[in-house]
Amino acid sequence: MRPSFYDHLHPPTIPAAQARLRFTLGAGGLAVFLTLVVGFTGILVTFFYIPTPELAAKSVQELTFLVPFGWLMRNLHFWSAQLLILVAILHLLRVVFTGAYLPPRRLNYLLGLSLLVICIFLDFTGYVLRWDEGVHWALVAGTNLVRSIPLIGEGLYHALVGGSQPGAATLIRFYAWHLFGLMLILMAVGIWHLFRVRRDGGIAVPPPELRSDKERISRTELSRREGLAMLWATFVLIILAILVPAPLAPAIQEGTASASENLAPWFFLWVQQLLKLGDPFFFGVLIPLGAILLLALVPYFTPQRLSPAELGRWFPHGGRNVQVLVAVIAGVIILLTLLALLPLHI
Amino acid sequence: MRRGLILASLLLFVATGFAVLKQSRSLTPVGNTPSLTGQVEYCLTCHADLPVISQSHPVETFGCVLCHGGEPLALTADLAHSTLRGGGNPSDLTVVEASCGGEKCHNGTPQVNRDHIQRVTTSLQATYAGAIAQVRYAFGAQPDLTAQMGIFAIDGLSAFDPTAEASPAIQSFGMNCLYCHLTAQPLVGDEYSRWSGCSACHSPSPREDGTLVHQLTTSVAYTQCDKCHNRGNYSLLDIKFHPREDAPTDRLHDYYQPIAEFTRCEWTLDCIDCHTRQEAMGDGHIYNNKKEIQYIRCRTCHGTIESLPLTYTITDENDLALRLAFLNPKVDLKVGDTILMTDKGELLWNIRALPGVEGTTPSYELFSKATDQRLTFSPVIGSTCQQKPDQQDARDCHECHATQR
Repeated sequence: MRPSFYDHLHPPTIPAAQARLRFTLGAGGLAVFLTLVVGFTGILVTFFYIPTPELAAKSVQELTFLVPFGWLMRNLHFWSAQLLILVAILHLLRVVFTGAYLPPRRLNYLLGLSLLVICIFLDFTGYVLRWDEGVHWALVAGTNLVRSIPLIGEGLYHALVGGSQPGAATLIRFYAWHLFGLMLILMAVGIWHLFRVRRDGGIAVPPPELRSDKERISRTELSRREGLAMLWATFVLIILAILVPAPLAPAIQEGTASASENLAPWFFLWVQQLLKLGDPFFFGVLIPLGAILLLALVPYFTPQRLSPAELGRWFPHGGRNVQVLVAVIAGVIILLTLLALLPLHI
Repeated sequence: MRRGLILASLLLFVATGFAVLKQSRSLTPVGNTPSLTGQVEYCLTCHADLPVISQSHPVETFGCVLCHGGEPLALTADLAHSTLRGGGNPSDLTVVEASCGGEKCHNGTPQVNRDHIQRVTTSLQATYAGAIAQVRYAFGAQPDLTAQMGIFAIDGLSAFDPTAEASPAIQSFGMNCLYCHLTAQPLVGDEYSRWSGCSACHSPSPREDGTLVHQLTTSVAYTQCDKCHNRGNYSLLDIKFHPREDAPTDRLHDYYQPIAEFTRCEWTLDCIDCHTRQEAMGDGHIYNNKKEIQYIRCRTCHGTIESLPLTYTITDENDLALRLAFLNPKVDLKVGDTILMTDKGELLWNIRALPGVEGTTPSYELFSKATDQRLTFSPVIGSTCQQKPDQQDARDCHECHATQR
């Protein structure tokens, strides 16, 4: 019998050290699980969502208040999407801080990084689909940011927004990007990413002769652990969905100023804070792009200095420069996010 | 491992149970699809016990959202109420256009008597233009008593801005004396408590325990008018409001401050039994002071020694008099009835001419709009009154007809 995709992802045995939670943080697996949840709940909410400016926010309210378990569906979709981004970031940090970005995993590192970017765009487009006052500011500010790009900005804005200001064309484009454009790319790159894990020799690990811990776990054990993680994740998702509802606000009214709320979604708060410093193109486009570029260059900074013996553990010596770089980027992003949340005018 | 699986499964089971519980405990939506909008709204889920606001605004026809705004589908108070017009009072003049306006409602043409908003927003009660002109004139800020400024800018009036005035007295006036116009929040206290906008007169004030009364009415008692009127005096000496200090115990003394003489019908009836729609709500023109718009005199109903009061015979089912009588069903008016009419042609629908014998002095019956009183009265002609027809101010009639107080 040909091995299934499941078997491809679950070798008969894998080194026990690299299957431990304290090494992997379970982040990659959780990201896969959350993607499945967000996809499944996404399919469900699609049956109720109406992508027109007049009805979008109404249909979300209808789903939330009138459809039995609609609130649960929507809250699960919301929370799994938010947790997915968190878990994906955690996964990225784990990979960087354990040196797992080196060849042969360099391509997969880049695939993973692009998955994070796609997830953020999926999250932002989903956020905009609410089409209510809560997203109005971020929609206007976010799309205007595109306009600030020299030469191509105006064209890109029109391609994205479909007019001189957000309207029905914008909503249907964001809807299409959310459901098709970004989703298809996510699926393609995501499956490729998963496929490459095994092709690249599984989770980064030292060569057999250099391993101190020779213990291995079976495919069944791995599956069991994954099952356990999924149970816990589902538990957390349901509790969050019950206790903390996804945000809702009154529908965007044509021609009104968007003053009710002017905070970006949490994953863009750091960009919002940067924008306060000056030129939107430099602070709002170039710096975030630069940060992503720096992260993408991570595998190219230290290939010679990190020996195979250092693989498979936290904070290998040879990867110090990259660890410091990423820690600084993460620290600055967290700091900017906190500043944006604090009621300080900086 | 096994224990972990069992624990996680158990917790997940419990969490799912909570989700089911939350769903089963959630409100059962009560929908209403008003015929005017055709859009379903779920306000009645929580507000089922509210009485219909008036027989002219049945909930099956108007629903809630058409007037109040709000989110019709939301079942959480915060979201549902987040877009309410004027907070709890959609008749506030800042939002009245959206709430009560519309060609077929209260912002239509004068020809079909649907220009309420246009009239009210230019009325002295809303603009306060008369008082502003008087005070600005008194303190030298304008050369005559012509109304130039209103509480808000409208038509021929610019907005009164006390901070832009040079005279400290006018600044104090702006600070201390602008509590009565229709856009103002009233002074604190049950005796002043009222809504703003249309509801200042047409909705009962909140009860003393703070609960609200969901009602629109044209049966406005004098006590409602007295939320602004007769509560005290604005003094030009110190530019302050001085609340009345007497403690009235009966209707006569409660009705007016002890500053003038009044005859019996002026306190046994309610204000709106004599004062007309145009006097209270304006006629669409800017007036310089109250005297210019307040034109009802004793003779309007009683006539003079030379003439009978003006009358009007209802000829049409859609007559304004019948519409007004429908809003406040105190009198059973019908086509063919003769009612009284003012000098300006306003219909006094609550005063009907009684059928009499040809050639004899007619008599009339008045149905009080706020109480259930029904009074019959005769005109001056045929009485012993000798008052000259060209001396018909209240003070002239009070010479003989004042009540001791």
